[in-house]
Parts: sequence; structure tokens; C-alpha cells
Amino acid sequence: MKLTKPVIVALSLAITLLYGGCKNTAPNGPVAGLGGATVAKYVAVGNSLTAGYQSNGLFASAQAYSFPNLIAGQLTQAGGNVGTFQQPLYSDPGTPDAATGKASRYELISWVGPVIGPRGLTPGSPVNTALPRPYDNLGVPGAVIFDFLDSASFASKAIAPRSNPLFLLVLRDPALGKSIFQQAVALRPDLVTFWLGNNDVLGYATSGGVSPSAPTSTPIFTALYTQAIGTLRAALPNAKIVVANIPDVRSIPFFNTVGPKIAASLPAGYYLRYQMHGNTSLAFDSTRLSEPNPPLITLTGSPYASLIGHPTGKWYRDHSYPALPPGIDTTKPFGLHPQNPWPDALVLDATEQTTAGTSVQAFNTVIAGVAATNKAVVVDINGFFNAVKANGYRTSGMVFTADYISGGLFSFDGVHPSDQGSGVVANQFISAMNSSFGWSIPLVDVSALPALTVPLSKGSKVYPVIPEGAFSQLETLWGAR
Amino acid sequence: MTRVRQLGETLLLTLIVASVALAGGFQLNEHGASAMSQGGAFAARASDASAIYFNPAGLGFQTTGSIYLGATGIAPTISFYGPAQNNTNAETKMNSQFFTPINAYITYPVMDRLQVGVGAYNAYGLGTEWPDDWSGKNLVTKVDLKTYWFTPTLAYRLMDNLSIGVGVSYVSGTLLLKKAAPFDSRVTLDMTAHGWGFDGGIDYKATPRLTVGLTYRSKVKVDASGSAGFVPDIPVLPTGGVNATITLPATGYAGVAYKFCDALTLEADYQYIGWSSYDNLTFTFTKDGSSTSAPKNYSDTYILRVGGEYSIGWLKLRGGAYYDHTPVSDPYVDPLLPDANRYGLSAGIGLNLTDHLKIDAGYLFIHFFDRSLTNTIPATSFDGTYKSYANLFSLDLGYSL
Repeated sequence: MKLTKPVIVALSLAITLLYGGCKNTAPNGPVAGLGGATVAKYVAVGNSLTAGYQSNGLFASAQAYSFPNLIAGQLTQAGGNVGTFQQPLYSDPGTPDAATGKASRYELISWVGPVIGPRGLTPGSPVNTALPRPYDNLGVPGAVIFDFLDSASFASKAIAPRSNPLFLLVLRDPALGKSIFQQAVALRPDLVTFWLGNNDVLGYATSGGVSPSAPTSTPIFTALYTQAIGTLRAALPNAKIVVANIPDVRSIPFFNTVGPKIAASLPAGYYLRYQMHGNTSLAFDSTRLSEPNPPLITLTGSPYASLIGHPTGKWYRDHSYPALPPGIDTTKPFGLHPQNPWPDALVLDATEQTTAGTSVQAFNTVIAGVAATNKAVVVDINGFFNAVKANGYRTSGMVFTADYISGGLFSFDGVHPSDQGSGVVANQFISAMNSSFGWSIPLVDVSALPALTVPLSKGSKVYPVIPEGAFSQLETLWGAR
Repeated sequence: MTRVRQLGETLLLTLIVASVALAGGFQLNEHGASAMSQGGAFAARASDASAIYFNPAGLGFQTTGSIYLGATGIAPTISFYGPAQNNTNAETKMNSQFFTPINAYITYPVMDRLQVGVGAYNAYGLGTEWPDDWSGKNLVTKVDLKTYWFTPTLAYRLMDNLSIGVGVSYVSGTLLLKKAAPFDSRVTLDMTAHGWGFDGGIDYKATPRLTVGLTYRSKVKVDASGSAGFVPDIPVLPTGGVNATITLPATGYAGVAYKFCDALTLEADYQYIGWSSYDNLTFTFTKDGSSTSAPKNYSDTYILRVGGEYSIGWLKLRGGAYYDHTPVSDPYVDPLLPDANRYGLSAGIGLNLTDHLKIDAGYLFIHFFDRSLTNTIPATSFDGTYKSYANLFSLDLGYSL
């Protein structure tokens, strides 16, 4: 056994040499950087999508994952010097619903249903109000393209017809700048992301083509957008300007959740009878919901879907109709009888889809042209979301789809991205910047962002029930201008 | 009785070891210190009790009973650089792990030409553990696959220069798999598996100097079942029973050994592995009958081995090398099993301490070629570069009657 000692010594020596001598070294790969460019200030201009509005409310724990805040973090990793990205934070549970005074944020109320809606919580409050300069995130929920240059008082937008208090929250004091534009330029940014125009068509679509009764007209949009980007470019001749186009509203779960559930639960041979666009009396259609290009039922229709087939006038009572519209007979089965049809406000029919789709297409053509003229880069968010709707989106073993909640990209309101959805949006911006500017900003690791924690099973006949009135805050933001 | 108790203890020991993927896929080929020292080229000679694994026919030329008992220590170092999807080259190191698969063989000559034996070893295994919050957590955070093979074997020397052997293997295994699940949940699959396989070999001493060996080990279909646990548990997730069928591939050796002089013998082996039997990994959940299936599409592959032994009296010096071709094409590589082509360089010594007692010690260094991926399948979508190496140390004690 004496002989084993030198053996052990020799082996130990070999172990030490070989174990210590080998190391994995990084292969050639992307090196984070901005190609020598200086980015010391980044400003985000936009609407609710830029603000980090989520699940029908603006609240700090979602604002932390607003796509501009995520971009700012990645810019820093690439050597940008943008400091703390300042946002108009509103403490959880967030902003109030004007009608109830309670926090408007949706949460899971009950597994049975499931029921999703506001929990009746006391709202939060603004927490970053002492900042002696404009916010870096100038996304104002409800803003339309007109608002960018408009220097009317912010307070006036808080009262009817706009009834939107969030201009006052985000822009605060005219001394900081009388418009979104003025406040943005006052910050002297090297980089601006600009994503407006969604609300010029979204409100029309989400209200089933009822309120407002038409998207912003294309000539007006063209004039406003041209002026907006032209003015911005003139004020910031050397800044990088990145604009995003407008996703087709039909690609969002707000329109694709309730209809398929109704179609699956209708007995064979029954059709949904719904009101056609602009016709409040007797027009109806018998299109089968499951056929190609069906009418799109809004998420706001969820509390009424279970009433289909019952003799009910609940929708008219909920909406305080002084009398039933002519020709309506609520003793007939709701949604199945031509005299008690599914209301126009809860459906985007073929005509309305065409109107919305045509506007989106026209607006995006304008955006592309204006961007080219003003040396701005376009992020094709529309193309991206259409692809997601068709094929889903996969990265790092995760699967995202355009499905409500289970798809992972959208928050409970079916319109605004979830935390992970914001990361995916941020990455579309970053990829566009990397390829256009020769930058190499690392993308957001979407897997590290919080996922939605309330799943709905796909294919089940159960649809989420969002209580009547829960959307009134959104409708207010979109509706009036 | 003593022998029976020893066997029982050996089996117990084997039950507590873990193992790591070192050959292509999740195969393990280190089942004896002498063989490992010689690049694993051992199927023609199969000159100790580890013949039960390498070539059962080799036992037919062994005239005494023996015990061969030892362990291999495995220290892999694996890094991932990426994911390229996130435009990053950041390094993630696999958690540091150390595995000690054990091998135990007992043989006994019941008649002049007939040897019986039993072996216990881990022919397949996989140990992968990534940080809990790494960017691939939705693919995997931990895999621990262990298989325990118990192989009663029979060898018969047909002629003075020709022997045949057969074995039957009972395979028992455990599989633990952890990853992130939808909705910020984490899933743990905890399963046990059982299966049967067989093997056979021929050993032919064509001339006094030249020996040829052939070994075939069948594929083993193991049926695995166990539980799927989600934390937090969310009603739509399939908590409860889970089932899977995994096919451990067939493998075969063709070896040629040549004795240049009494002191020096060299051997070259071609090893074949039928990995094409591993075409997908499917888990079926009993709660709702749903299943999740990951395509693997492995290909049949090979390992080329050379090695030899030089004797100086009671001391044997050994060395060897091999090249191991990966069964996985680029699109199907994922962090569950970051496979790559690799080569191994080995060295070792054997000491005949007494007429009955010997000790074998071996060292093997495995270097993996960089695996750079740019086109992983959509379900994976996790491109980047894997770099790996491993150090193995093996020690076996032999006692012959």
C-alpha cells in the first residue's frame, strides 16, 4: 500500500494543473455599445402605451415596466448616460375611475367565471410631483395626435368633453412647457420615441363604432402628423427620432376573446343577431360568429354574453336609456331575436372593421412617409402584432400569442401590454434602433419580467366576465376629443 | 453469503449516485478505471470484470472469479453565452456539480468454461443545473436523470480462442426536471422509471497477438411515471400525475486489440450509438390528458476510440483518446443537454499490489468543441454558444480469487 502515496500525489498534481489550467472564454459575439454616439437624454412621447398604462389603470408597479423605462435601462447597459428615467409615477393601486372614485385597475375578483374587474380599492396618488423639470416619459393616456402640439391648458382637458385628468398628471405645470412638444424639447433629448395616433382609431373601434362614430379623418391625421414630426425635427435637428406605427386594432384580444366563446356556446342552428353599424333600430345580421371574418365582439360585451337567449333589457337599463329604442322588444330572447339584438356598441361589424382597418392602413402610410422626410426611423409595430396574431411569438422557450391573458402579451384590459408585453414592445424599438443607427443595445430579457399570474384555459367555453362599467374610464379616455 | 451481502451493499451504493451527460446525448461510457484510462477502447480485450459492460464474452477468457469495484468522479464546467435573440453574449455558468457514478462487478467461474457475473453501473444519466433565474429558465433549470443497470451475465468459452457472452439488464431510473412554467409558476417533474434490456458479445483471439471483439447492447424502453408539481399551483395547470416513455438507445462496439509484445497492447474501437430512437420527449399529464412534446430528432452516431497499456512488472501505464460525434443537429440543441462534438484524452496506471489485489486509477479530460447555434427550433428560440469541458477521475479496486 506504500506505493499508492506517490500515485495520489501525482494525481493531485495533475488535477490541480488541468483543473486550473482550463477555462471557458467568451466567444466572439455582440458587444454592447452605441457606436460612439452620445445619448445623454431620452424622452418618450405617446399615449397610454408609452405611459405604461395597464389593466385599465396607471399604477407605479406597471409604470416600472413601461416600454420607455425598459429602453432607458437597456440604453444604460450599452453605455448611454440617460440617468434615472423620470416618470409620472402613481402609487398602486393607481388612478381612480372618475365615476366611482375607486381605483380603476382590473384584478382577478373570482376564479368562478372568472370575474376580472376593479376591486373597489382606494386609489393611489402621484408620487413624483416635485421633479423640477418635465418628465422623461411624456406618455399621456388618452392622447391623440392633435394633443402633441396643442397648448390649450392641461386643466381644461380634465373637464368635459375630454374629462381626462391625466394631462394634468403628466404635464403638470405650463411653466415646464405648454404642450407635450414644448416639454419634450425643453429636455434637449438626443433620442425621442414618438408613438401617437393609436387613439385616433382605437376609441372608434373599442366603442363598436359608436363613440366616436368615426376615426380621425385621414386628411386631418395627415396634416397633424406631418406638422407634429416636422416641428419636432426642426426643434431637434440632431436628435435620433424613432416613431412607431399603429397596430391594427383587430389584432388585440379586446376584439378576439368574447366572440369565439359565444360562437362555441350557441346551440347548433342559432345565430347571433346584432345591430349593424350606425343603426339603432332593427337592422341585424345573421352571420355565424365562427365563420371567417366574423363580427368582432368587444370585451365590454362579456357581462352580457351570458344573457344571450334570455328576454332581457339589461343593456338598455345599464346605459340609462330613457325609453327603449323604437322596434326593440326586450321580451324577445336577447341576441337571438331580431327585435332584441346584440347592441351595436358591443360589436365591430364588417363595415366598422373595414373603416378601422382602412384608417390604420392610411395612417401608417402617412407615418412612413413623414418619417422618411424627417429622417426618423419607423418601428413596424403593426407588422409585428399582425405576425403575433398569425403565428405567436417565441423567445427563450416562452410562447406568446394574441390571446386574452393566456397569450401573455396583453394585460387584463385586452388592449394594453402586460409587463412582458412591454418588454416585447421595447425590443421592437431597440431592434429598429440597432439596425438603423448601427447601435448594439442588448434586448430586454423578457423572461426576467413578471408574467401575468392569472391564466385562462384556451378553448374553454368559459369567458371572462368583466363587470358592466369597468371600462368606463377607458371609454372616457378614448371617446371624447 | 458474504458475496451476496457485498452485492447488496454495492447496489445500495449505486442507488445514491448521480451522473452527468458526458458521451453524446445522455450516455455514460465510463464504467471502469482501466477502460477509461485507455480512451474507452476495451471491447476486444475486456480483460477485467468490467467486461460485463464492455463485452460479456471477455469473461469467458477469465479463469478466476473477481470483484471490480470503483467510482468515477466527474467535474464538468459548462458555460452558455447569449442568448443571441437578446443581442447579448453574456455568460451563464452552469451550477458547479460533482458526480460520482459507481461501478461494481462480481464474476465467478461455475465451470471450467462457464463464467457467471453480475454488474451494477449507470449507463445513461444526465445532470444539468442552471441558475434559477437565468434567461433560459423557461427551458430548464435542473435535470437529474439517473439510470441504474443491474446486469446478470453469462459467458461461455466455446473454443480456446472464442468466447461468447450474454446479459440481461434490469434498468431502474429516476428523472427530476425543473423549469419555469407559464404565469410565473415553477414546475417540478419527479418520476421513476423501469425497463429491461439485453446484451451480447463475441470475443475472438484470431492469433496469439490479435483479438477481435463485438458487443451489442439493446435499446431499453423505460416507462416513467410520477408527479408534476406547480408552485404556485394555479387551477389551469396540470398538477398531478405525469407519464413519459424514454428510449435509451442501443449501442454496439467493434474492437481490435493487437499485442505488439508481451508488455505492450494497443486497441482501437468503433462504438455505434442508435440515438435515432430518441426522436421526441413527451410528457402526458393525467389531470387533463394534455401533453407537452419536445422534438429531439437525434441521429445515430459513433465514437472512435484508441488506447493501450504498457506493463513494467507490477506497474501498468495506460493512455488513450477518443472522438465522440454529437447525435444532435444544431436546431435541436437546448440547455437541457448542451451537446457538442468532443474528444477525450486519458491516462492512468494500474498497480498489482499482490497476486490477488490490484488498483487502477485513471484520468480523463474531455474537451467539447464550441457549439454555436443560430437556428434553434421555434420552441427553443435560444441561440448562442455553449462551451464545455470536464475532468474525470476514476479509481477501481480489483480482487481476484
